[in-house]
Amino acid sequence: MSNSIKENLISSFPDIQVEVPEKDRLKINAEKEEVISILSYLKNKRYGHLALISCVDWMEEKEFELIYILSAYLARDDEYTDRERLNIIIKTRIPRDNPEFLSVIPVYENAEPYEREIHELFGIIFSGHPRLIPLFLEREYEIPPFRKDFDNRQYVKDVFDKIPSVL
Amino acid sequence: MAHKYSLHVIYFCTGCGIIEIPPSITARWDAERFGIIPVATPRQANLFLITGYVSLKTLKPIIRTYEQMPEPKFTVGFGSCPINGGMYWDSYNTIKHLDKYIPIDGWIAGCMPRPEAIFVAVTHLWTLIDKEMADGYKRYRKNYRYYRANQEQLYGKLDWPPLFPIEDEK
Repeated sequence: MSNSIKENLISSFPDIQVEVPEKDRLKINAEKEEVISILSYLKNKRYGHLALISCVDWMEEKEFELIYILSAYLARDDEYTDRERLNIIIKTRIPRDNPEFLSVIPVYENAEPYEREIHELFGIIFSGHPRLIPLFLEREYEIPPFRKDFDNRQYVKDVFDKIPSVL
Repeated sequence: MAHKYSLHVIYFCTGCGIIEIPPSITARWDAERFGIIPVATPRQANLFLITGYVSLKTLKPIIRTYEQMPEPKFTVGFGSCPINGGMYWDSYNTIKHLDKYIPIDGWIAGCMPRPEAIFVAVTHLWTLIDKEMADGYKRYRKNYRYYRANQEQLYGKLDWPPLFPIEDEK
């Protein structure tokens, strides 16, 4: 089953690279223009569960990597089919100096908090997101704190250590 | 002092310290033997137990909870993280020293402390109450200007009014 998905994907999107790193895994490396159409293609194939959006900061290569993890919902309780067992990972890269990407909320609605989190921690702007406001953080950071060039220890010295003890 | 055997405790369960609380208040270690009983609201409590790391977001409710408790009130920090940051010592989003923002009467060190440590701390707190050394609420009243200044240095302008009047320094 996973083979047929793989062949279907390659025939529909000739530019992408599809690998099978291990059993029941499918890794897709795609250009950023194609990600939305791949996601909606897979959603039509009943991969309806967006488990996670993750982000990696590749500072030396001056790129951010966005990772979308998809799987299918169970049709039966007692037994997995091959289609349900498959996890699909879609990876794409966007430039670090212009961190903008399209929101995938029109395809997967539950992307909303993930994209807010990535916006807050990596500073990526998702255009089309209805409310790109802070999710967890209380303070404003000059460099978003999950970027590699954010200096944790210097920040602690500058902010928390400067607050005097009482008595 | 009379209230030392009737500690009504409010648990502020930040971080992993919550794991130790259910066994310590239920039959296994039964905190009620020591006169400790959990209450639902800070307005009925006189012991404040902060169990675990304090992030910037949870410090605000901690300050507001502390300010709502009636005096006399005692505060105990539970675990390494409220003392000096613990394993989050270089984190961008946890405050390191809780006693810069509210006064603390005692610490329970450890990562995590066992439930027995709560009772060691409570018997110790009895001694401190007897000797009138558990005076965090008096220090808060006396040094409120400095505590409030520290809180404002962290957050900018706070969205609640000062608990005590802040007089100008002479």
